Amino acid sequence: MNRSGLMWRLASFAVAAAVVALWQWIADSRLVSPVFLPGPDRAWASLVRGFTVGDLWEKVVGTLEHMAYGWLAASIAGIALGAMIGSSHRMRTYVAPSLEFLRPLPVSAIIPVAIALFGLTQGMALFVIAFGAVWPIMLATVHGFAAVEPRLYEVARSLHLSRAAVIFKIALPSASPDIVAGMRLSLTVALILSVVCEMLAGLDGLGHWVLLSARAFRSADLFAGVILLGMIGYITALAMNFAEARLLAWRTVRH
Amino acid sequence: MTSERAKAFILPLVLLGALEIWARVVHLQSDSLAPPSAILQALGQALADGSILAATRDTLFAAFVGLVVGGVIGLILGIAFGIFETLDRLMEVTVEAIRPIPSVALLPIALIALGFGYRMEIAIVAFACVWPMLILSRAAVRDIEPRLMEVARVLRLSPGQSVRSIVIPAALPRIFVAGRLAAGIALIVAVTVEIAINPLGLGASIMLAQQALRPDLMLAYLVWIGLLGYALNAVLMAAQRHLFGYAAVVEEPS
Amino acid sequence: MTAAASSTSADLVVPSSAQISFNAVTLDLGGKTIIENLTLNVSPGEFLCIVGASGCGKTTALRLAAGLYQPTSGAVRFDGQQMTHPRREIAIVFQDYGKALLPWRTAAGNIALALEATRVPKAERADRIATLLGKVGLPNHAEKYPGEMSGGMQQRLQIARCLAQEPKALLMDEPFGALDAMTRQGLQDELLALVATNNATVVFVTHDLDEAIYLGDRVIGLLPHPGRIGIELAIDLPRPRDQLVTREHPEFLRLRRMLFDFIKATEH
Repeated sequence: MNRSGLMWRLASFAVAAAVVALWQWIADSRLVSPVFLPGPDRAWASLVRGFTVGDLWEKVVGTLEHMAYGWLAASIAGIALGAMIGSSHRMRTYVAPSLEFLRPLPVSAIIPVAIALFGLTQGMALFVIAFGAVWPIMLATVHGFAAVEPRLYEVARSLHLSRAAVIFKIALPSASPDIVAGMRLSLTVALILSVVCEMLAGLDGLGHWVLLSARAFRSADLFAGVILLGMIGYITALAMNFAEARLLAWRTVRH
Repeated sequence: MTSERAKAFILPLVLLGALEIWARVVHLQSDSLAPPSAILQALGQALADGSILAATRDTLFAAFVGLVVGGVIGLILGIAFGIFETLDRLMEVTVEAIRPIPSVALLPIALIALGFGYRMEIAIVAFACVWPMLILSRAAVRDIEPRLMEVARVLRLSPGQSVRSIVIPAALPRIFVAGRLAAGIALIVAVTVEIAINPLGLGASIMLAQQALRPDLMLAYLVWIGLLGYALNAVLMAAQRHLFGYAAVVEEPS
Repeated sequence: MTAAASSTSADLVVPSSAQISFNAVTLDLGGKTIIENLTLNVSPGEFLCIVGASGCGKTTALRLAAGLYQPTSGAVRFDGQQMTHPRREIAIVFQDYGKALLPWRTAAGNIALALEATRVPKAERADRIATLLGKVGLPNHAEKYPGEMSGGMQQRLQIARCLAQEPKALLMDEPFGALDAMTRQGLQDELLALVATNNATVVFVTHDLDEAIYLGDRVIGLLPHPGRIGIELAIDLPRPRDQLVTREHPEFLRLRRMLFDFIKATEH
C-alpha cells in the first residue's frame, strides 16, 4: 500500500479508536445501564478471562466446527449438483425454475423440520447449516456452468478432450468466479445458521454462550461473545478474499 | 415459450405426486413428514381461521418497520459516504469492524435490552438492513456520472439541492435494487429471529406446530413462508421493471 | 481458371490424392438449405481460400469440413474416412480468438491444452511450447494471460495452439477479420511462412478478396442461398508472395477483377 493509503488507514484506525473511547465514556457515565452496555474495558476483561481460565476457546472452536462441516458439505454437494444441472440444457429447463422459486425462501424455516427429524442435536445443526449453505453455491454453479463459452466446447471437441477433461479443464475453471462468489455467500449463511442452531439446541458454541450470558445478565461476557462472532465473520471473509485472489488471479490482469 | 414455462412445473408436480402416493401407500405416521394433501388441508384451515394471516401480519410488520429504519439509516450513511470520500475513508475501519457481526449474534443483547416482542425484532432487522443499503447506495452514488456533479457545481446548487435534484434521481435505480435486496434480507432475518426466540409471527407459529407434533401444519407454514418470500420478490421485481425498466441495473451479491 | 459449376452426380469416385473431399454435400439447418450439392476436393498441402458474400455458407462449409456439423446428405471425407466428428489432425482457428482461448491459463498453458490432449509426455511439453511460441512470434509471452495480450497476439496464440496439435489440415474461419490492416498483413506473411515449413493443408475462409488471392493456391467463390460453388480460380502467382510486389502483379489484378465481378453479381 502506498504512503497516502497507509496514512488513511491509520486515520481510520484512529477514528475507530475514538468510537471505542466514546463507548467507554458512555459506559462509565452510566448513560446506559451497565447491565445492558458494559464498557470496552469489561468486555476486554471478559475476553481475557474467557481465554485464560475459561473455556471460551472451546466455544469458538465449536462454532467454527459447525460452520466448517456444514459449509464444506454444502460446497461439495452444491458444486456437484450445480455442475450436473448447469451442464445439461435439459436439466436446466426442468430443474432450474424450481430452484429459482426456492431461492428467496428463508432457509431458517427449515429448522423446525430439522428438529422434527433429528431432535435438538448436532445432526440437526449440520443438516440445517448444510441445507442453508448449499443454495448460494448450487445456484451460482448452475449459472457458471450454463454460461461457459460455447466456443470452448468446440475447441474441446476438436481436441478430442475426454468428458472428465472438459469438466475439469474447461467448465469448472470457467465457472470458478461464480462458484467462489457463491461460496463466499454460503460462508455468511453458515455462520448465521450455526449461531441460531447453537442457540436453539444448546450446542457448544458462541451462539449458546451469548444466549446464556444474556439470560444470566452477564453483559460483559455477552459482548465478548458478540465481538468474537464478528471476528469470525471478518476473518473468514478475509480468508475467502485471499483464496479468491490466488485462484482468480487471471481475472484481475487487464490488457 | 409457454411450453418452456409448462415444463418448469413438471418436476415439482411429479415430486409432489410421488410423495403423496408414497405417503398413502406407507400409511405415513410421522412427526416430521406429512403427505402433500394433508399439508394443503392444514394450510386451508389455517387460512380460514385467520391464524396464518395474523402471523403473517406480525412478521411483515416487524420486517417492514425494521427495513425502513435500517434502510433509511443505511441510505443516509451510504449517500454521505458516497459523496464525501474523506468521511468514507475515515469510517472504513469502524464499518468493516461492525459489519461482519451476524445480526443474530445481537439477538441476546436486544433481548435483555428490549425484551420479547416487536421492538427487539425490529432492532435486529434494522441492523441487518443497514449494511446492504449502505454498501450499495454508496456504490450507486460513487458511480454517478461525474459530469452531473459538475453541473451541480456550475449551477451553484446547495448541498441539499444537489442531493435532492441530482444525486438521488441519478442513483435511484440502483438504490431501489438495494432496497429490494434489503427487503428480502428483512423477511429472512425476521423469520429467523422468530424461530430462534421471539414468540410472535410466522417463525413462532412454525416452531409451535413442530412442538405440537403437527407436521402437516408445520410444513404448511413452511410452504406459506416460501410463497411469501417468492411473492415479495416478484412484486418488487415487477415494480423495479415498471419504474426503472430503462436502467440496466446490475445486482451485486452482498 | 475455370468458372466451373458444381458437379451434380453423386460421384463416388474420390480422387485418391484428395485430403479433404466434399461429395454432393447438402446441409439443412433450421428449415433452410444452407449448402446444396457441394462437391469439392482439397489436395494435401494445398492452400484453398473460400470467399463469398455474407450468408453464402462459407463458414458453414468450413464447419462441415471440421466435423462440427454433419451433412444432411452426401459425405465429407478426410483422408478417405468419413467425418462424423472432429478429428485431432484437423485444427480449427476461429475468428473470435478471445472466446477460443482459455482466459485462466497463460499462453504456455493454452498451448499445453493441445499437448495434454494429444498426450505429449510432460518432459517434452516445455520445449514444444517454446518452439511454437517462437514460430508465431511470441517468444517472451509464455507467462502472459490472454487478457493481457492484444488481438493480434491472441490470434497468434490460437494459431500456436492449433499447430501444437500437429495438424494435417488447418481450417481457418476469417481469422484476421477482427484485426487492423497492418496486423492483418503481418499475420498473412507469418501464416504463409509457417505453412511453408509445415506443408499443412489450409482451408481459409475470408470475405477479403485481396487476402484470398494473396494467400491461396486456389480460390473458390460460393453463391448464396443455398451455398454452392460459383467460381473457381487457380492462383498462378509466384511464391513466396510479397505484400507489395505480388499485389501489383498484373495476374493478381486480373484475378481480383474476376472475383470482384463475381461477388458483385451474387449480391443482386
